[in-house]
Amino acid sequence: MKLIYTDVLVIGGGLAGMRTAIGVKRRGLDTLVLSLVPAKRSHSVAAQGGMQASLANCVKAAGDNEDIHFQDTVRGSDWGCDQQVARMFTHMAPKAVRELAAWGVPWNRVRKGEHEVVINGQRVTLTAPAKAHGLITARDFGGTKKWRTCYTSDGTGHAMLYTLGDQAVAASIPVEERKEAMALIHDQGRCYGAVVRDLISGELSAYLAKATVMATGGYGRIYGVSTNAIINEGIGQALALETGVARLANMEAVQFHPTAIVPAGILVTEGCRGDGGLLRDKDGHRFMPDYEPDKKELASRDVVSRRMAEHMRKGKGVASPYGDHLWLDITVLGEAHINKNLREVKDICQYFLGIDPSKEWIPVRPTQHYSMGGIRTDYRGESPWLSGLFACGEVACWDMHGFNRLGGNSVAETVVSGMLVSEYIADFCQKPENDLTVSTHLAAEFLQRETDKLKRLFTSSGDENAVAIRKRMEQILMEKVGLFRNGEHLREAVEELQQLLIRSRQISVASQAQGANPELVLAYRLPRMLKIAIGIALGALQRTESRGAHYREDHPERNDRDWLNRTLCHWNSEDDTLPVLDYEPLDVNTMELPPGFRGYGTKNIIEHPATEARQTQVDRITEAAPSDLNEQLMPFRHLLPEKYRGDNERLEDSNP
Amino acid sequence: MKRTLNFNIFRYNPQDPASHPHMEAYTLQETAGMTLFIALNQIRELQAPSLAFDFVCRAGVCGSCSMLINGRPRLACRTLTESLPDTITLLPLPTFELIADLSVNSGKWMRAMSERLETWVHSVEETDLDRIELPMDPDLAEHIYELDRCIECGCCVTACGTAQMREDFIGAVGINKIARFKADPRDQRNDQDYYAVVGDDDGVFGCMSLLGCQDVCPKELSLQTQIAYIRRKMAFAGL
Amino acid sequence: MKMMITKHPSAWPARFDLMQSATGLFLALFMWLHMFFVSSILLGKDAMWTVARFFEGYFFFGTNFPLLVSGFVALIFSLIIIHSALALRKFPANWKQYSRFWQHMRSMRHADTTLWLVQVVTGFIMFFLASVHLYVMLSRPELIGPYASADRVWSLRMWPLYLLLLFAVELHGAVGLYRLAIKWGWFDRGDPQSTRRRLKTAKWIMSIFFLVLGLATLAAYIKIGIDHSANVGELYTPSWMEVQQ
Repeated sequence: MKLIYTDVLVIGGGLAGMRTAIGVKRRGLDTLVLSLVPAKRSHSVAAQGGMQASLANCVKAAGDNEDIHFQDTVRGSDWGCDQQVARMFTHMAPKAVRELAAWGVPWNRVRKGEHEVVINGQRVTLTAPAKAHGLITARDFGGTKKWRTCYTSDGTGHAMLYTLGDQAVAASIPVEERKEAMALIHDQGRCYGAVVRDLISGELSAYLAKATVMATGGYGRIYGVSTNAIINEGIGQALALETGVARLANMEAVQFHPTAIVPAGILVTEGCRGDGGLLRDKDGHRFMPDYEPDKKELASRDVVSRRMAEHMRKGKGVASPYGDHLWLDITVLGEAHINKNLREVKDICQYFLGIDPSKEWIPVRPTQHYSMGGIRTDYRGESPWLSGLFACGEVACWDMHGFNRLGGNSVAETVVSGMLVSEYIADFCQKPENDLTVSTHLAAEFLQRETDKLKRLFTSSGDENAVAIRKRMEQILMEKVGLFRNGEHLREAVEELQQLLIRSRQISVASQAQGANPELVLAYRLPRMLKIAIGIALGALQRTESRGAHYREDHPERNDRDWLNRTLCHWNSEDDTLPVLDYEPLDVNTMELPPGFRGYGTKNIIEHPATEARQTQVDRITEAAPSDLNEQLMPFRHLLPEKYRGDNERLEDSNP
Repeated sequence: MKRTLNFNIFRYNPQDPASHPHMEAYTLQETAGMTLFIALNQIRELQAPSLAFDFVCRAGVCGSCSMLINGRPRLACRTLTESLPDTITLLPLPTFELIADLSVNSGKWMRAMSERLETWVHSVEETDLDRIELPMDPDLAEHIYELDRCIECGCCVTACGTAQMREDFIGAVGINKIARFKADPRDQRNDQDYYAVVGDDDGVFGCMSLLGCQDVCPKELSLQTQIAYIRRKMAFAGL
Repeated sequence: MKMMITKHPSAWPARFDLMQSATGLFLALFMWLHMFFVSSILLGKDAMWTVARFFEGYFFFGTNFPLLVSGFVALIFSLIIIHSALALRKFPANWKQYSRFWQHMRSMRHADTTLWLVQVVTGFIMFFLASVHLYVMLSRPELIGPYASADRVWSLRMWPLYLLLLFAVELHGAVGLYRLAIKWGWFDRGDPQSTRRRLKTAKWIMSIFFLVLGLATLAAYIKIGIDHSANVGELYTPSWMEVQQ
């Protein structure tokens, strides 16, 4: 039996995992990172457009601050988020950008003097003041009041991940590549690490740690078409679910990005629209202003995606062998801008579509993109049910995105949560009661269980084909748990997905290779994916309202009265085919921003009975304008690690 | 135009005692817009469930899927089959440790390169995260990003005659990294420090200017220019 | 963000690299000049005689000092030895390296890669052939002249050596200069790839020009050598001296 001990076991080598590992290492803990693929190839690398932080350096960001970023985020979430966490996040985002700037990310910078931009289809000249010259600039993104998205061309995730990856090398943090977590080792509500499979040799070993961190990203790949990297199969969430103890939250909150190319489903960044790109229908008509006169193409993603689908349903889509699509027109931005700031977009168009986006329109349609839901954690990133299990980044439901995430908030979340959670983990590990007291017997037991499972797959006489089951699962989610949902389809989806889960227990593996064996990998991952799929479908079925990305045609209203809550999901027994759902209420009385109209999308709300009173209370406090307004409305600073509590300086502060 | 594509794919799983290195043939009907990502997945789904290959982003940004496609290293995910003849030969990148079939351990190589060249911003000051960031010239920031765009796919190393012969050669990827950090004022290393990591025949002086790297780089990085630049600087630093 | 521990690397790799380039540059340019000198035979025997005596200092001192040529040949010889020794660092060192490069070259079908093997092969040829020529020049510098050289080419059967050497030198030199320009980034302003294309074209033009010139020159010596084969050993007297006598 191979046992490996460390203080902090980080599962996942993307931005969130890397920043967490660096954080705990700096606090003097021993850590190691497991990654399915070479860490720099993680899905974070594909983030293009940027990272939101209210630095307020560029002309169109003037006056921006944490408050506005917070409000945008809460509105974007359709009031489904944890407002305290959103507050912590918006407070930390500028620090995260500045830290990355010091570590080497070549953020694009403000250039003093006049420069031309495209706003609302028009060329406009802006003049940047000399004092802002060389500070980190930002671009416009959907659902935001200010230009807040810091970027490096359209390779922001790449630049960030490479910088963090390099810093991890500098800190001598071991990154074990091509290692897959197979099960969490836990006992009586305490997580002790994971059983890990070496994807090259096939060897199983037990990694024991004081704290285990899931940072494995989203579950886009259980959908047939997704912008996600193909490794994003929801395995991290599934491993937590399979403990039977930890809970997932808001699994039904699945984001569809408005602009993925057809048919490949590869994302072209929201920066295209942020920089002035337009959406057009089959007649070349710019239709978004018809639906969203205020924010137009730059409403939140859930709204733009839905409007696009709505428009295509009216017969305004462009017919293609791969189904209808619409056009994204960035020709208005000009070749020079595209060559400099949207070069990945240009590459994608060139290689996958054979077009030049500075001359031709890009065929796009809404495509699965992001999972707001995930492993439910408290503000410290720890599972309230399974001590020692932490999660951050997309895998987690921390929960700053609620039912819809704003563009540029996910890469920001990865590093911010990594910064914070690593501190909380270090605090956790330094408490004597959290010392590692696991018995090797427990580790052996879990190891044996996984060994047996694999053996069963090799020797099974079952006749089910994993590929066929997977394809059907993908199809069900695409057709019945997509952008528009209804009770009937969701019921069918839950029903059939359960059948698939039962069938998946009869999968056998022909290839007997112990090491690299893609057939085996699919066989053991598929039941996990199905559990996640069922969690999504069941959550969506039961949530009889529409909130953010979760849209029920049979319940189009946002129902704060009955559904201002978070769906929790756990899986009782290995033999079950359904998870158990319960609900965690969101407390209107503690909200800094009580529920209201988002300012875009359709206004169709059933009010929560407490909203009005809380709004009056908030208004009264705000009007009095006390110096500690935040503290009176909704205190959050005390939750932050001490070193991160300071105010963020801005240009306007330094030069009054 | 519907073609039948003939694939010759290298098969070998070193972990499987029954396996021996050989080429295996598969045929596939070409479809419109088919990439090697689509083709290889179809082969795996319908003909060879154990066929190992690496794709992650499948969008040309992560650098996982480089392989020898009809002899030259390229990213498979963004190679359209229509750009290839009827017969397509796929081999794993020869420079890196073979995992199985078309999958190689380029990550391990890249990590070793990073450790050797210390590819990170070396700085001793702690940053006060509450304060406004230090300004940087916008052109300089863009220049650094230009050099930072490398995706560590390994194509340049495979296309390099020197790297083929000398296993310790750091390749264009490594030299470009040095150019990237040298351009970055946040990295406080001086030319002597860079010389310490690339100033020998396993470093920049090992380069024989065959330019395979320049001609295959999927990100079209200015490798030729960067290598020449680092060579000039390091030659000067060495004197 | 730790600071690097300062290492104390050797300066020799940098020096070697510069020396290889510098000797290569000098030799390649010299070979072009050399070809012009040798090809003076195409302008007539007198022209060639004049060039040969010029380098023996005849026009400065009024008498011949063949040792001057010996000295210069010695310098060139040593540069070649240095250049070869440095170039050897780059040669494939064993069968594995040869076979890997060979496979790589066949797989890539990439002109600049293939040209490198040309460099290796021509360089290897020159080790031997150039040494023979240089030794003769070193030991009998006074025998450079229209007849003596032609006799050497024809009657002493050196022409096959010179023919091979001609191809080796003109390919090796031009490819070498092209590679030097790439290696150090000369003429690299603006668009390096178009510079490279232009350099490559220039490289081919130079190779072909000097091959044609070299073949014509060799032919001229062969012709003189055949005509003079009955009088091997006789030295040439320029026409104007004959007139004076």
